[in-house]
Amino acid sequence: MDDAPIVFDGVSKRFGALTVLDNVSLTFPKGKTTAVIGPSGTGKSVLLKHIVGLLHPDSGSVRVLGVDMARARPDAIYATRKRLGMLFQDGALFDSLCVGDNVAFPLMQHRRDLSQRQQRERVEEVLEMVELPGLYDRATSALSGGQRKRVGLARAIVNEPEIVLFDEPNSGLDPMTSDAIDALIHTMKARLGITFVVISHDIVGTINVADHIAMLYQGKLIAHGTTAEVVRMEHPILRRFLGRNLILPEADDPSPPHLPGVP
Amino acid sequence: MHFLGSLAWFVVDWGRACALRRPPPGRVFEEAYAIGVKSLPVLLTISVFVGTNLALQGYNAFVPLGGQRLVGMFVALAGIRELAPIIAAAMVAAKAGTEMASQIAVMKTREQIDALEVMAVNPLWWLVTPRLYGIVLVMPALTVIAIFTMLLASYAVATLQLGLNGAVFLEFARNATSGADLLAGIVKGFIFGIVICFVSTYCGFASTKGPEGVGQATNAAVVISSVACVSINYLVSQVLYG
Repeated sequence: MDDAPIVFDGVSKRFGALTVLDNVSLTFPKGKTTAVIGPSGTGKSVLLKHIVGLLHPDSGSVRVLGVDMARARPDAIYATRKRLGMLFQDGALFDSLCVGDNVAFPLMQHRRDLSQRQQRERVEEVLEMVELPGLYDRATSALSGGQRKRVGLARAIVNEPEIVLFDEPNSGLDPMTSDAIDALIHTMKARLGITFVVISHDIVGTINVADHIAMLYQGKLIAHGTTAEVVRMEHPILRRFLGRNLILPEADDPSPPHLPGVP
Repeated sequence: MHFLGSLAWFVVDWGRACALRRPPPGRVFEEAYAIGVKSLPVLLTISVFVGTNLALQGYNAFVPLGGQRLVGMFVALAGIRELAPIIAAAMVAAKAGTEMASQIAVMKTREQIDALEVMAVNPLWWLVTPRLYGIVLVMPALTVIAIFTMLLASYAVATLQLGLNGAVFLEFARNATSGADLLAGIVKGFIFGIVICFVSTYCGFASTKGPEGVGQATNAAVVISSVACVSINYLVSQVLYG
């Protein structure tokens, strides 16, 4: 795990009397998808904000691509962020810009080496990857919830980041659109081979996309391992969260666990 | 006091991160145009009617004393030195300032400020710098426009409605004031622009998330900007004319 791009070491975070993260130590393996799961209000989003340096731990450290995100100088933090991409819950698209300009935003800020034509070509390429070809000039107000997520995903990957973070990629979506987003994450993972971190309380989606799972409960890390390991753990809270009807394959069956009716 | 302290830190943060940095390309003139165009209709309307009433009240005050010729002097002194700069500030705070606060508060609610941070773009640089330079560019111009609109409206009422001699009105107005007064008005506009921008953008950044937070930020921006400009106007006038 020496080359792990994200390392949490004994991280604690309190807001007033509420302990949101309690001595969390966790590594996110390179080139894998790690899902951080847990009930609402258990510290998942706070953990994500520590990765991008929007929040700092009260104790412990968060190292991202070798940079301590709490103690580094602002220019080092900004330099690290250029190597990250993030999909926000509702996309966090800029209303004043069209779809293409939203996606091109990181390129316009940080890739002056690319001509406008090259930037446009790159934007159209990633829009095609997220299955939204030809939408460059569309207003963001004309997009559906699923389309906003895809545009947000296109913006997150346009600058070829080493890590992509997903904050509740399925929230607010109908089951079919949710499945489509999961499939997209799956395709991206295979195609780009970069490190993904997915924050979610959607069990079906998580099990479909994750190589590793970490579960937070009341600020503590109560389970961590490969997806196959975690779904077999007997921790009572984990079992309650995963649900009784999760179908586990036989021990010698390499297929992943799944829910009834879910391919 | 807490608000003033937080506002001061906000300005210091902006200064440290952005003061020596070139503004985002193309966005200053975009903001200057937006601030100027949006504020102009209401500023012209208010300036016209403040000008008309200045002439009416000046006439009522001075005619019983036999000093109707002083109306031009009164209008020029009150209009150029005090009312035009403060009305320009109030209208820009009401139109552009509220828009700054509400836009930034909505961006905060929709996680767009966090998105800027995560994309390695300093939100203070992206959101405050172009608005600051834009408002500083247009506020002096808007103040001058308010001054001349007000004088023109006063002149029209004084001559067409009240029957005063136009040449006398202009002569007394000219003798009572000088180019330095016009310059003082422009300097006031410049200062008010800086105050409105920092107060309004700070209210947006400091807002709580959600519709209520957006409303509170918008309301606070116009109230605090207006009070600050009126107070600073007194201090500047005291220094210049006290």
